[in-house]
Amino acid sequence: MVDTLLEVCDLLIHFFTDEGVVKAVDGVNLTIPRGKTICLVGESGCGKSVTARAFLQIIRKPGRIVSGQMLYHQQRPDGSTEVIDLAKLPPKGDAIRKIRGREISMIFQEPMTSLSLMHTVGNQIMEAILLHEKTSKLEARKRGIDLLQRVGIPRPDRLIDEYPFRLSGGMRQRAMIAMALSCNPTMLIADEPTTALDVTTQAQILDLLLDLQQQYNMSLLFITHDLGVVAEIADEVAVMYLGRIVEQSDAVTIFNSPKHPYTQALLKSIPKVAMKREELAPIKGMVPSPFRRPTGCVFHPRCSQRMNECSQTDPMATQVDANHMVRCLLYQNASAVKTNVGTVTHD
Amino acid sequence: MWQYLARRFVYMIFTIWIISLVSFAVIQLPPGDYVTSMISQMYASGGQNMPPEYIAQLREQYGLDQPLHLQYFKWIRKIVLHGEFGYSFIYREDSREMIFARLPVTFAISAFSMLFIWIMAIPIGVFSAAHQYSIGDYVFTFIGFIGLAVPSFLMALILMFISYKYFDRAMIGLFSVEYADAPWSIEKFIDMLKHLWIPVIIIGTGGTAGMIRTMRANLLDELNRPYVDTARAKGVSENRLLWKYPVRHALNPFVSTIGWVLPGLVGGEVIVSVVLNLPTSGPVIFDSLMKQDMYMAAGFILMVSTLTVIGTFISDLLLVWLDPRIRLT
Amino acid sequence: MNVTVSQDSIDQVLEPDGITIPPDVLDTENLKIDVATQWQLMWWKFRRHRLANISAVIVLFYYFVAIFAEFFAPYQSTDYIAEYVYSPPQPIHFFDDGTFKPHVKGLTFTRDERSFKKIWSVDDSQVIPIRFFAKGSEYKIGLHWTKIPLIKELYVTVDRHLIGPVDKDQPMYLMGADKSGRDIFSRMIHSSRISLSVGLFGVALSMILGIVLGGLSGLLGGGVDTIIQRLIEIMMSIPMLPIMLAIAAVVPPNWTALRVYFIITIILAFTSWTGLARVVRGKFLSLREEDFILAARLDGTGRFRLIFSHMLPSFYSHIIASLTLALPGMILGETALSFLGVGLRPPVVSWGVMLQETQKVAVLALYPWLLWPAVAVIIVVLAFNFLGDGLRDAADPY
Repeated sequence: MVDTLLEVCDLLIHFFTDEGVVKAVDGVNLTIPRGKTICLVGESGCGKSVTARAFLQIIRKPGRIVSGQMLYHQQRPDGSTEVIDLAKLPPKGDAIRKIRGREISMIFQEPMTSLSLMHTVGNQIMEAILLHEKTSKLEARKRGIDLLQRVGIPRPDRLIDEYPFRLSGGMRQRAMIAMALSCNPTMLIADEPTTALDVTTQAQILDLLLDLQQQYNMSLLFITHDLGVVAEIADEVAVMYLGRIVEQSDAVTIFNSPKHPYTQALLKSIPKVAMKREELAPIKGMVPSPFRRPTGCVFHPRCSQRMNECSQTDPMATQVDANHMVRCLLYQNASAVKTNVGTVTHD
Repeated sequence: MWQYLARRFVYMIFTIWIISLVSFAVIQLPPGDYVTSMISQMYASGGQNMPPEYIAQLREQYGLDQPLHLQYFKWIRKIVLHGEFGYSFIYREDSREMIFARLPVTFAISAFSMLFIWIMAIPIGVFSAAHQYSIGDYVFTFIGFIGLAVPSFLMALILMFISYKYFDRAMIGLFSVEYADAPWSIEKFIDMLKHLWIPVIIIGTGGTAGMIRTMRANLLDELNRPYVDTARAKGVSENRLLWKYPVRHALNPFVSTIGWVLPGLVGGEVIVSVVLNLPTSGPVIFDSLMKQDMYMAAGFILMVSTLTVIGTFISDLLLVWLDPRIRLT
Repeated sequence: MNVTVSQDSIDQVLEPDGITIPPDVLDTENLKIDVATQWQLMWWKFRRHRLANISAVIVLFYYFVAIFAEFFAPYQSTDYIAEYVYSPPQPIHFFDDGTFKPHVKGLTFTRDERSFKKIWSVDDSQVIPIRFFAKGSEYKIGLHWTKIPLIKELYVTVDRHLIGPVDKDQPMYLMGADKSGRDIFSRMIHSSRISLSVGLFGVALSMILGIVLGGLSGLLGGGVDTIIQRLIEIMMSIPMLPIMLAIAAVVPPNWTALRVYFIITIILAFTSWTGLARVVRGKFLSLREEDFILAARLDGTGRFRLIFSHMLPSFYSHIIASLTLALPGMILGETALSFLGVGLRPPVVSWGVMLQETQKVAVLALYPWLLWPAVAVIIVVLAFNFLGDGLRDAADPY
């Protein structure tokens, strides 16, 4: 029995632009287990960042959660759990603000711009502590220094008074992580935290994140397009394409026996060190326009195993194994087991 | 920081030097030299012909028979060393007296206008950006546009007309009758403050409209920056977040706009004072230009511009204080 | 109210770096967006800016009236009836005793007890019928003003005006009369020609200065850039108004109206090119780094061609928007100078020249209709601002 932390059901997030409605997240179902690392993988623009932002209700305008549930299993001090539907909380309300930073925190892609350059590192770390806990400024500062130490920043007592623009990219990302961990969150969302860093720094930050995930025993939702990173850190993998999770399973299964043609194609498109000099297979075609989604299965225009019905029938989430979901007509018809999760029909 | 300040300081000195050249050029503008315009002016105002010896003496006194660069040097040296700006034939004394009497009022009005602009523009700009496309935003945008479209002298005219027609008193002057000719005192200063708000509002309105738009645009840019998401993800409330992060960031470019708002304010002050007949620099500059009392005019142009440039330099200092990126590099 | 977002913000959210759509997945509607030219995109975006659309119509209307001022104005700018000094506006009435008969009421006067001056007021008992295409004073339409032999003969003489009293000897002062008994409404229409064209010429001049100096600065960089930037910074940090006044004040009184007109235009242009130069420089600087410029350069495109057929066209739209936003400044500048009496001079009529009469508050209080030209100024300046704003938004269609 998996201890569930966050259960996402049929999440729909639309962006209401002048040019039309963009269905950025189109029926996402996702379960995030407690204390595990789950990777959300997908190409740019597939809606993985928006999904993660939805958990904190910090989707940018004109985006909005249209429907769906995000059931957060909050652990009370007495050990019991209470289920909160994050999707129902108003984005500017107090309830979600008590979750943000304290229960679920997030680090972002660009350490250069994600910290305010006008405020000291200490100011920004202490802000969350002072906000969520009743501590004195001095105490908060002590904790800030301690956190900076934990994330591997040298001379944290001096660095706490430094402005972020005086730090290197790796140091800034460490400071970001320290900030995110300041209130011992149960879940940390990392939105491509290493993309903007150089390779050595990337590896260091990854190690640090994994290390901290174990130390704090928190769930880590790691968003990336880099399958190499996924292989390194993931317990669970969810593959996303055009606003949907097309396949989800544990990391070993995904890498050894991918089911969805998209996952298969993704895996074929990355080089392996041990690989012989065969050509990489890029995925055919491009990600379609966000305004005109393909009918039927959203992947069918680019699919190498396309069938006739793919352009008409929208596949449902199918359980091919106990812990292996795939959303593809190839398996839907073969497997008798269907999830009770409904599908969303499209015009 | 020191390098930045040193550079700004050198720029300031250089600009002031250019200003002095321009002001000197203003003296040379009218046909003939200073003494000829002086003579014709005195003649026109009913004076009798001057003896040629006296004319020659005047020419020598001002070095008018020397080459231009020497004349410039003579002029600027007198200003720097003795504070003498040259003889004004309208007031029959050195221009200094008039310049030092009027300049402070001009700068009091300009400074208060700047203050007025800030007090109005920052909150309104923040509101407009934070509530983009709300009714309030549209109302302020529209008022802002009208503020931009109505030039200050027209607004002065309209206000003057209203006060004259409906409140039965001319809104002219800066002092009550009893203080008009009195020497400076605290009471007189307070009296001035009581009259000051009308020109301050008139001069400040155009600038306020512009600054609201600047503030709004700056802030809209900042509102989409990742650091705002970071702060929001920490659980900071919307209101606190707005003032602590984006507004703080948007203020930096805002401060440097002092540099280009101030010259406009001073220019506006000149023209509004002419309309409202305020005892500031404006009417004197205008009058001396009309009567070609060029030492007076040039002196005013020099001083008004120099003080404006110094004001800009002060805004640079303010920026150093405000922006750690400049302060620490 | 719809929420508008720039494409940027969508991109930020969705990160679709370089979306192109395979032909089999899209329909024609989508195709249209993809192949639309930059101008089409601008036009579509501009069309949605309603205030800017209305403003464009207003601006065009102003210029149309200015071109055919003689026809739209009931009287010539110099026409006067000495008797009707400062007569009040005569509003148009459409019905007389229940029948449709457009007319204005006549004027009557009383004597001021002290000064014995005539004080006019509207007399409701008199009816002065008015009509469209009324006969009035004669004027020429054509190319007579070119002063080129033969071509200048190409004109017709007309005596019809858009609106006027049926009997041309009866007074019709829709917005009142000035100190010489001239019709303010007519003079306002005639003024628009000067006031609006000063703006156009001034902007054209400052555009040349701005593009040349800004372009040099942005393209050459280095020492040239530093010098031009310093110059701009200095000009922007000095209050230009007193200097403008100084130059304008020494224009010799015996100069012809045309020369004064040009010197005023030059003064205005000279003080306002700096903003445009900055825009142009910034654009050139950022363009130098753009891929398509690099591509053109690698293709061996010459420098001159690079500038004129690749760089400039890519920001025409920005230049147009900047110019539109600079125009109201010009119009206001001319109005201010003329108002102070150092700009254009009678017999030339501009809104500023007309407003000179309002300098004395006592006069203004008695004859508030003298302020009508101010209304014309404010409306056109507002329209230009809205229009420029809409153009600027549209200039960034992506």
